[in-house]
Amino acid sequence: MTDSIASYKAALEGLHRYLSRYVPLSKQEFGHLLPYIEIREFDKKVKVIDQGEIERYLNVIAWGLVRKYLPVRNREITVQLASEGHIIHSELSFHYRTPSGSVIETIEPTVFFSISYDSLQELYDLVPKAERMGRLLISDLYVRKDNRYFDQLLKSTRERFLQYVRTHPQMVQRVPQKYIASYLNIKPETFSRLKHLMRPGRR
Amino acid sequence: MLELLRQYVTDYVALTDEEFSLLASKIIVRNFDKHVRLIQPGEVERYMNFVVRGLVRTYFYKGRTEVVTVLAKERELISASASFLSGEPSNYFIETLEHTILLSMTREDLEEVYRLSPRVERLGRLMTTQFVLIKEEWEHEYMRLDTRERFIRFVEKNSGLVQRVPQKYLASYLNMKPETFSRLKHLLKKRPVQGR
Repeated sequence: MTDSIASYKAALEGLHRYLSRYVPLSKQEFGHLLPYIEIREFDKKVKVIDQGEIERYLNVIAWGLVRKYLPVRNREITVQLASEGHIIHSELSFHYRTPSGSVIETIEPTVFFSISYDSLQELYDLVPKAERMGRLLISDLYVRKDNRYFDQLLKSTRERFLQYVRTHPQMVQRVPQKYIASYLNIKPETFSRLKHLMRPGRR
Repeated sequence: MLELLRQYVTDYVALTDEEFSLLASKIIVRNFDKHVRLIQPGEVERYMNFVVRGLVRTYFYKGRTEVVTVLAKERELISASASFLSGEPSNYFIETLEHTILLSMTREDLEEVYRLSPRVERLGRLMTTQFVLIKEEWEHEYMRLDTRERFIRFVEKNSGLVQRVPQKYLASYLNMKPETFSRLKHLLKKRPVQGR
């Protein structure tokens, strides 16, 4: 894990750029958000939130790699794989203040920029642009969720595989295969078999 | 009709009379017969709709099979939401199942109201969050519950719909074969459920 000041600076600049996609924020305006943000560090393979706990945070990944899964009987169904710049948290638990049904676990050592539920409400009340930023960010989240749902249902296994490896080449290197297979709802054996499609010239 | 909408939004944000009037000034009332298609794939959704009366379903085709994704009744919102929010073409059909009255607002008008009123914008943020959460919850239930559990859960939450919605659509919504749905219906007799 890197922990130099330069890395934090770069990650914060990334966060600034990410938020500015929704609502342009000056350096000063972005600075107003910083007091609300907590930096949280986790080793690899650590459960950031477990089933039954109440999610207190919305997290943006400064660096690292995280997965979210649902324990179902004796299986784990991966529902999200997230790396630098992505938002990850147990959203039902966060918003409804109910015990989490999902587990969030680091794959690599990870640093989060986190905002607590209470701080977020305060931010919405005190920072005028936050409301619009929140609305647009959540709209975007909804649209992406809907697209993923649609892809899962309508695309073939092979199409889902190819789409993922083309759009997330770095994830294919970093994430254990079984988690990607679970995320794409593809059997691990099938996933292995499809890997020949990744060789150059086969795309 | 507007009173129904007012009650609904008050669960999210208590708007002043002035703020609600601003919102109401952009609303149009739309009346549809049953089995009318409101939107189909490829079209961009222009409206966010609140159901005052009636019943509407959202669906798409997987091969030749219809997959029902939403059943919306009175006091619920219905729209091809992803298309409404993104401006991209819809993936879904929306169709009325009964004579339906909708309170509708275009995206442009809604955005204008957001600009004029921060509290209406908050309402927009909270309702959009609700869309995300409903989707998330549906996805979790879909993965975690078996067919029988999904059936029971649905009936407990939506007892009124079981009478109103054709069985084939309910079965599709719950992702089960119509035969399975029929077989599970015996559970209803053993577990009396209250009407709406």
